[in-house]
Amino acid sequence: MLKNLKKNSFLIWSLAPACIFIIGFFVIIAFFLLKLSLTTYVGGMPQETGVISNYITLINSSAFKDAFWRTLIFVLTSTPLQLITGLITAMLINKSFHGRGVVRSVLLLPLAIPTIVTTSILVLMFSKGGHIGSLLTGQYSFFPQVMAKEISFMNNEAFAIGLAIFGKVWRDTPISMLILLAGLQQIPQDQYEAAETMGSKLVQSFTYITLPLMIPSIASVLVLRSVEAWKEFIFPYILAPSFPVLGVLIENFYVQQLNPGMSAAIGIMLIFLILICTWVLKVVLEAASKFLVKV
Amino acid sequence: MVKKIKLSKITWIILIIVSLSLVLLPIYVMFKYSISDRSSWITGGKYPVPWFPFNPTLDMYRYYLADTRFWANAFLSINVALLTVALSIILGAPAAYSLSRSKFNGKAIILFFILSIRLIPDISSAVPIATIFNNGLWDYLPVVLKLSLAHTLLGLPYVIYIAQGVFESIPKDLEEQAHVMGCGKFYTFLNIVIPLAIPGLAAGAIYVFLLSWNEFTLSYFITATSSVPMLPLPVYLKSMFGAFTPNPVGIATISLLVSLPVIVFTFALQKYMISGSTAGSVK
Repeated sequence: MLKNLKKNSFLIWSLAPACIFIIGFFVIIAFFLLKLSLTTYVGGMPQETGVISNYITLINSSAFKDAFWRTLIFVLTSTPLQLITGLITAMLINKSFHGRGVVRSVLLLPLAIPTIVTTSILVLMFSKGGHIGSLLTGQYSFFPQVMAKEISFMNNEAFAIGLAIFGKVWRDTPISMLILLAGLQQIPQDQYEAAETMGSKLVQSFTYITLPLMIPSIASVLVLRSVEAWKEFIFPYILAPSFPVLGVLIENFYVQQLNPGMSAAIGIMLIFLILICTWVLKVVLEAASKFLVKV
Repeated sequence: MVKKIKLSKITWIILIIVSLSLVLLPIYVMFKYSISDRSSWITGGKYPVPWFPFNPTLDMYRYYLADTRFWANAFLSINVALLTVALSIILGAPAAYSLSRSKFNGKAIILFFILSIRLIPDISSAVPIATIFNNGLWDYLPVVLKLSLAHTLLGLPYVIYIAQGVFESIPKDLEEQAHVMGCGKFYTFLNIVIPLAIPGLAAGAIYVFLLSWNEFTLSYFITATSSVPMLPLPVYLKSMFGAFTPNPVGIATISLLVSLPVIVFTFALQKYMISGSTAGSVK
């Protein structure tokens, strides 16, 4: 036993620090998340431990229900949108043309900009007296007047959530583009040529060749992006602060109301929602691939 | 047939132009605001904000680059990022090396545990992390250390994942020769493997540096509930929105200063970054 230990001492010494760090933090996070969620807070002070009243309060509160629906809408809109924009941009740069490298670099730019900076640009553009407001009220000569009066985007629920979705899609399109591009490049070109000699049109080639062969990469985009959308915090937090999604609600309870118990309870529910959503998505994707791939 | 090809080509060109302008317009607006003079953003509703400032000026850059508060925050961000890189590489590189070289039982379990920390959403783990860091004994840690420990938690799995690939690409023969000549495992690792792995590890290090530089959620939660004199740059930028009269030119200037290093690094290392960000996504 001791001999074995000595023989493997390098292995143990090299692996131990990283494992202790990660597993240690994992245990601490999981333990405190659970403990906090079972603790009630009154006025920033812990009151009772070991009760599930946080969860009961949450399920009965309208703020949580609203936040849940907003998050669901956020997920259901931003995920397919990212798939569509990613697919379009990936197909655009999938052929070889002059200046392709430059175009690809420009399309990757949103990934290189810190998220908080993206939100700050959107705040500047959409705030009162910003470019978009002036554009829509027809103050620039080249654009027709759409609205009679300037509206405040961030104080209107639909616009604020829409703005957060726009920011999220703008920033994360390059990620789905890269994944889908890798999938597109794996499709053998002779399949398209064969289809063309048999007289297939562009649309047919897309639905019968591209789509079925792209299912693995489409599936990974949908799963990865929907998980990201569930836990989104920064975009809704900056752009729709008055209409919290679940992530923003966690911040509200933690920072503004000094109630870590509630925010931990939401955090745990968020984890379960992500698990459920991923499972549903998996079932749907399996059914879809059975429907699309006809052997 | 000829007509159809032309039609598809035209749609292709239009779509390229639309997507390029959608990406570039917000970035241009940020740049434009950062060089605006006073009359170009305080319009009083008499005329719309111009698409190019009337009198471009670099005043805000001069102001912030001479501002001690900005530099204090920037140094905090840099220190946190460097400490995060050091911690992640020191902890991650040996572990990745062992994982790539040895074939022992339970390797998959260890790898799963290392990556599983990323399964907890940031926003959920931020609550317990901020709570333990701001209570009890942990509270005495300096802010730099608190922030970089939290960021290491995000960066370490990436480093282990990237470094494992790097070490697998180094031929085993070299180490075997070193063993034959009487080097110990530790000596071989430090003097033979690490120098060969430096280019690959550097890519991982820069990835982690940018991750820490951009990180907002954890930094915000840790600093929000404690009184700290300095803030990391993303949190500082956010605090500017909350000011009584937000100054668009100042916000745009800080935004540009924060994103400049990221843009430069990303384009210098695009090849590595792409393989890093999509690693494991299609497999």
